[in-house]
Amino acid sequence: MIPTSLVSAALLGLLAVVLAQSLLIVGNRFVRRHRQRRRERIAAPVRGPLLQLLCAEEDEQTELLYRLAEIDRRTWVALEPTLTALLGKVAGGAHTALVRLYELRGAAVDAVADLSSRSAARRGRAAQVLGQLCHRPAAPSLCRLLADHDPEVRLAAARALGRCGGPESVPYLLESLHGPRTVPPGAVTMALVSLGPEVQRSVAAGLEHPEPLARAVTIEVLGATGVVSHASEIARALREDPQIEVRIKAARALGRLGMPDGLEPLLAAVRPGGPVALRMVGAGALGSLGAVAATGPLAKLLGDPDPHVAAAAARALLQLGPEGRAALRAAADDRSGGPAAAQARAALAESAVGGARHDVRAEVAL
Amino acid sequence: MAHVLIADDDADIRDLVAFKLTQSGHQVTVVEDGMAALRAARENTVDLALLDIRMPGMSGLDVCRELRAAAETARLPVIMITARSQEGDVEVGFAAGADDYIIKPFSPRELSSRVTAVLNRVER
Repeated sequence: MIPTSLVSAALLGLLAVVLAQSLLIVGNRFVRRHRQRRRERIAAPVRGPLLQLLCAEEDEQTELLYRLAEIDRRTWVALEPTLTALLGKVAGGAHTALVRLYELRGAAVDAVADLSSRSAARRGRAAQVLGQLCHRPAAPSLCRLLADHDPEVRLAAARALGRCGGPESVPYLLESLHGPRTVPPGAVTMALVSLGPEVQRSVAAGLEHPEPLARAVTIEVLGATGVVSHASEIARALREDPQIEVRIKAARALGRLGMPDGLEPLLAAVRPGGPVALRMVGAGALGSLGAVAATGPLAKLLGDPDPHVAAAAARALLQLGPEGRAALRAAADDRSGGPAAAQARAALAESAVGGARHDVRAEVAL
Repeated sequence: MAHVLIADDDADIRDLVAFKLTQSGHQVTVVEDGMAALRAARENTVDLALLDIRMPGMSGLDVCRELRAAAETARLPVIMITARSQEGDVEVGFAAGADDYIIKPFSPRELSSRVTAVLNRVER
């Protein structure tokens, strides 16, 4: 039997912890709001000229630029979060004006110094600024930041490298997918795609990476950037990679690339007996590939015992144009067609609804 | 010049758009959420609404649908603002009845031209 006094003491202790945590949360919010208001108050006198700069014609910008570049350090620090946020939200002359303001202020140099700040928020903001400014000399420091102990800083570094990195940043980005301090695969993929076709030779080296996640990301990037010169290596990954996730990415990439080399391995991937997820993605990829030669095999898949594979095949046939639609209509009209006929009818009905939606949209746009 | 309603939960965007449109000679009403946008559109004589698609609570899409559903606001021109990463929203925006859309990051000058173009289209 537990003594009542002990239970009471435990409950009181628990209550004290809950109260302390609540106070901490409220206190934190209060401090953050107070700081925010203080920043807004300090930056208020220069907010007008900043908006004026962003909306000014090019020949009217110079005077405003110099006026803003000369503001005191306290005001600049208070204004900087707004400037950083606006860099990602405006384009054209407004973006150019902001970049020039940062240059005049020597802010890129400050940001590079801030990459080794003790404050994670400052490191993250510095990475963001350097990325937005496309400051290439900062790329090696940003690569090091991919192993930062703060996940937000690692994410900011990956995003920044997507804007200001080069071929030498690619291995670091791929390595950041593994180990105790990782960057989410989506962020690495986005960064590698943003770096564009000129770094894709370095990206392709990732096809031989020992880690499956690195191979999967590599394939996704090559598919998304449309680098057709690696289609045969992606086809080999689809056939031979030991990891199903990599093979699925390879199937999808081959569909996106739309190269004839993709047809055979994709047809092999959708054959009965293979993993359902791969067969489903493979069927979809045959539709994206747009090869009319896939019409027959896809029509056969309409009667597949797995409804997901059959539905993917039906949608893929719609993508193949008149031949695919003819195959769907033939299957739909087959009275003894069973599930295959049902799948075909569903796809044709779905397509009709989609077409009607498209018409409505076009009418609204007019 | 026209009376433009601006609804965006992002203060930087709100201020920037309001500044540019005021500079172009328009009168603006600025709100920071969907409910306030709907109220402002019903209570004022607004010529055009600029709605951010993603707003907490009532989204720009919901506001647009509500505007289209009511007889007095059914013909109010609507321009949607969306982020590049949410370009899929554009199709949904048109389906909800939007007349045009602007993708962030955007140039303030382009935004002003789009507003003028939509207003001219309506006048015709």
